[in-house]
Order: sequence, then C-alpha cells, then structure tokens
Amino acid sequence: MSAAAQSPGAAARALRALPPLLLLGLLAALPFFDLGANQIKVLFLTFVSIGASVGWNILGGFAGQVSFGFAVFYGLGAYTTAVGINQGLSPYLTYPLAGAVAAVASLLVGLPTFRLRGPYFAIATIGVSEATRVIMTNLEFTGGASGYRITEHVPFRQGEHYYTGLILAACAVVVSIAVRQSRFGLGLRAIRDDQDAAADSGVNPYTYKLAAHALAAALTGAAGGVYARYAAFIDPEGVFGFPRSVGILLMPVIGGVNTIWGPVIGGGVYGVIEEELVARFPQIHLLLYGVLVMLIILFEPGGVVGLLQRLRRLVTRSKVA
Amino acid sequence: MAALLSVENLSKYFSGLAALDGVSFEIREHEIVGLIGPNGAGKTTLFSIIAGSQPPTSGTITFEGRDFTRVKPFHAVHAGIARTHQIPKPFLSMTVRENVEVGLRFGREQQSRNLEKQAMDILDLVGIASRAGTSAAALSVGDLKRLELARTLAARPRLLLCDEVCAGLTESEMQSILGLLRRIQSLGTTIIYVEHNLRAIVATCHHVIVLNFGKKLAEGPPEQMQNDPAVIESYIGKKGGA
Repeated sequence: MSAAAQSPGAAARALRALPPLLLLGLLAALPFFDLGANQIKVLFLTFVSIGASVGWNILGGFAGQVSFGFAVFYGLGAYTTAVGINQGLSPYLTYPLAGAVAAVASLLVGLPTFRLRGPYFAIATIGVSEATRVIMTNLEFTGGASGYRITEHVPFRQGEHYYTGLILAACAVVVSIAVRQSRFGLGLRAIRDDQDAAADSGVNPYTYKLAAHALAAALTGAAGGVYARYAAFIDPEGVFGFPRSVGILLMPVIGGVNTIWGPVIGGGVYGVIEEELVARFPQIHLLLYGVLVMLIILFEPGGVVGLLQRLRRLVTRSKVA
Repeated sequence: MAALLSVENLSKYFSGLAALDGVSFEIREHEIVGLIGPNGAGKTTLFSIIAGSQPPTSGTITFEGRDFTRVKPFHAVHAGIARTHQIPKPFLSMTVRENVEVGLRFGREQQSRNLEKQAMDILDLVGIASRAGTSAAALSVGDLKRLELARTLAARPRLLLCDEVCAGLTESEMQSILGLLRRIQSLGTTIIYVEHNLRAIVATCHHVIVLNFGKKLAEGPPEQMQNDPAVIESYIGKKGGA
C-alpha cells in the first residue's frame, strides 16, 4: 500500500509547499515595485517580529511552555549585535553571535524555571525578564538607561535591511517546520500533552524543554540583532521591556499557537495593527491588545488559523449537505 | 534463573504515613507476577517507584543487576521498564498511531524506521488498529486502556508494569486483554500485573504477591494465595465479623 499511498501524499506535500514559496517570491520581489519607505519599514519590522514569534512558538506552542520573558533574548541579541558592530565585526557575523548569546542565556533561565510547571513557569519568566531589564538599565558599559548607539561607517540601505529581515523570517519558518516533523518535535508534543506520560514513554522532559528554549531563544536573539542594526539605537526599556515580551507572545496567540503558520499570520496582523494602533491611539493601544486577546481566548483559542480551519469545516459540511 | 528485578526493604512515607513499609521480593524473568491487595495497599505507589516516577524513602531496587533505586522514568524506559497507568494518560493532541509512535521512537529501542508498520502491528495486537487515524481524544474508556497498553508495549519493555488494565472492561474485553498479556509474556517480556479481580489473577499469573497496608502479606502460587487465610482476611475481613 505504501507506494500507492505515498505518491498522492508527496503531490499534496508539494502542493502545500507552493503558497509559502509564492509568498516568499512575492515578498522578495516587492522592493522592485514602487513602495514607499514607510511600507518597507513596516514589512521589515513585521519580518523581525515573525522571526521572534516563530521562535517563541517552538517553546510556547510546540512544547506548551508559555514564557512571558522572551524580551530577555530579544534584548541580549540586540545588544550583542550592537556591541559587535561597534567593535568592528561584520553585521552578518553578529546575528549568529546574537543567537548564541541568547541560547546560552536561555539555559541559565531554563535550568531553574523549568522546575516549575504551567502558570508558575510563566510567572517566573516575568521575574527573570524584569530583573534583566533592571540590570541592563544600570549597566554602565552599555550606557545604562540612556541607551546604546551603533555607529556604522556605511550608508543606510533600506533594501539590505529588508532582505535580512526576510531571510531571518524564512529561516525561522524552516527551522519551525523541521522541528515539527522531527523526533524532537514529537517529543515536544508529548510534553505539551502530558509531561509525566512523556517521561514514562522515554522522553526526557528537562533536556527537551531546555533544547526547545535554546532554539527559540536563538531565533529571538537573532531577530533582536537584526532589529538593532536597523534601529541603530537601542535602550533597555525598548528591547528588554515587558511590552516586548508580550508582543512576541501575542503574535502566535493572534495567529494560532502550536501551528507553523499561526505566528507568521499573527506577526503580519500584529505588524499592521501595531503601525495603525500606535499611530492613532498611542495611549490605549495596549488596552486594545488586551481586549483582542480576551476575545481570541473566549471565542477562538486557535487564533486566525483556528478560525480558518473552522470556516473550512463549515464549507465542507455545507457541500456534503 | 536469576532475578530480573529485586526489591529490597522498600519503604515510602507520605508525611509520616507509610504507603510502603519494608517490602522485599524478587521477580524472575519470563514470569507474569500478580500484585494484589485491597485499596490503599500500596500497589500503585510500588509501581511508581519501580518506574521512577517517584523516589522511595528507603530501600533499594535492582534491575538486571544494576541499582535502579532512584532512576528517572525516561532512563527506566530506556533500560526496559515501562508502565501503564491505571487512569490512561494518552497524548490527546495526537492520533492513536502517533501515540504509539512516541513509544517506539523514545522507548528502549529508539526506533526510527518502519514506524508506521510497527505501530500498526502493535495496534493490531491490542485490537484497535481500526482506530489508528482517530484522535486519541475521541476514544472510549476501553479503547484508551488498550492505547495505554499499546504505547507502553511500543517502548519494547523487558519488564512491563500493568496497572489494572482490565478495570472497567467487559468480561469479553477482559479475556482478550488477559490473552494478550499471556502472548506478550510468551514473546519474552516479564510482567507485573496489578489486579483486583482474583479470577483474572489465577487464570494468568505464575506467582502472586499480596500487599496490605504497605506490607507484603504473602507470596506464592496463585491457587495457594487464593486459599491463604491471611489473604482472605485482608480482602473480606475476619471470619465471624470484626
């Protein structure tokens, strides 16, 4: 049965891979059309957000360990790239470095906090995140609260940033797909469903959670690095602040936690809303996010992806009937 | 024959209350050993400690000549000790087949090839092959018990700890599970089997260990245990009323 059953499966897989590749091609071609600098900027920031939130989803979605502390990794990545560039490193060398620093930090955070489960883990990550922000605010070496400026002796080319962001987001999605389809991904799913049963089936929950955390942190750190070079100026409030952690977590929630495309869709929605909301309601945009999250949790915990699946079921059912 | 598992002077206290109190026994290879006793006798606690889910307060466990006293559950699985839970703990986001694949991929043999066929063989063995593609969340209680057993078997245990796999099943379902246990044993797996139903124990086990209030009350062949006055007393009370 295998050969006969597999060939339509392979065809279906190829068909499924088509829309993402088309989207990637379209996004790669966009700068050649006459887009305004602001639109390119919004897209770039969206790519960076997607990189971080696809990373978060590996831990928060696949492994079910909801962390409110990913600003730690975003911020450490941002500062690593900033310091690296100022020390004369090539920016492209600083991104993997930013990821590595974030991954090491994730082990330090994860070793104590993964002793906790569920909401207790989530609360602990808030504490770690706030502590990191306070330390960075008082660290003289990076200018403390007044921030840190990157000086590059090359002209600012927006296109270069755009493509760096696009590659970052694409890499994050590829990593996410690879994890999802691997033995590692199956182990994470088992932990998400029932950590004790996973351990009784031979999965080591501690090392698996630490590994997922490190991978997620590395992607988030790289995203922070890409952002830092673009911004050319970073401060603890901006990259380590609690709203940053919430933003990284919000995108998968909006799009659909524990799915491949949820964080991507959520990142897109978030990028656009952020631009519109912050511009129009600078005082209350966080309140609006709160309302949005409550609506999602109440009516469609699966986010946009869950909504689409529900619509598809409705359509197929009405076809049958 | 050498002992596969030996438990020596094992105790477990929950804030002063003894769930297990100096229990010792040996399990020889290729046996089905029944573990019986009234509610609260410490059967499930004993399983949890052997499988590494919780540490004992004192005592030692030796498996294949190595110390397994404070082993982690995943290490126990890798070495060949796998347990089922009295209340099944399925992975609810997965299909029935994926549940079994977790056992195959992470169990003693860490399989990576022919997962689908192996999973289907095991599901066939426990009798739920037709539900392979169903979400585990959609199974009935009886099928969940079979799935629990299937996932545990997928880990290819040398020592299988079965916690009341028949509770809540109908007579014919029970007979098919008991037949299955005998078959698994004949394929070379040693089984410790917790059960309330004495008839099932007598029909299946080579040897029976009786626990009561955390202590080993008696052990021996099932027919003998069935007629042991101390065992009868622990189950139905003293003759002539309390």
